[in-house]
Amino acid sequence: MKNFQHSLQSLEAADTQVVGVSMDSPFANKAFADQIGVTFPLLSDWGGEVTRKYGVYVDQYKAARRVSFLIGKDGKIEEEQVDKDAIDPTKIVLACDRLAHKKQ
Amino acid sequence: MSKRKTMAAAAWLLLWALAAPFAAQPALAQQNKPAPPKLKVGDMAPDFDLQYFDGTGLKKVSLSQYRGKKSVVLAFFVFAFTAG
Repeated sequence: MKNFQHSLQSLEAADTQVVGVSMDSPFANKAFADQIGVTFPLLSDWGGEVTRKYGVYVDQYKAARRVSFLIGKDGKIEEEQVDKDAIDPTKIVLACDRLAHKKQ
Repeated sequence: MSKRKTMAAAAWLLLWALAAPFAAQPALAQQNKPAPPKLKVGDMAPDFDLQYFDGTGLKKVSLSQYRGKKSVVLAFFVFAFTAG
């Protein structure tokens, strides 16, 4: 999440809203956001309904897998990064820029 | 069966017993290899309606509220208070 915070300016410049999601409570996520200096919302998918809907629920951990989706204004998935690749947001940022230019 | 043949058979058996777990390893690794998410690039992202705490109250965020307005990065993370 920290890495997305570092890229937040360029993502917002590309007309993009960043949100994190986990199956923690909203209050735990707020404390986490404060601790690591994240200013975008960390949503709570308590119970994991959305996590399952996106197919990223890991039964072994009873939690979400680390996956980042870039969703376009039309609601279509434009880019996705999984597991270790999802730590570095570079590809997502590049895809955002591509998208922002395409739409202009 | 001659003693020599019996010895040879035993040696083969031993070798097989030792090698079998290694032979099974690649198949096991294949099984443990995480599958790609079922949603692919180009698919419609399912709508969601979730909440976060902003310090004063619970705020709602849905995917549909950004439709036609903004792109959205939806970053799933495993647990709060863990690195990455």
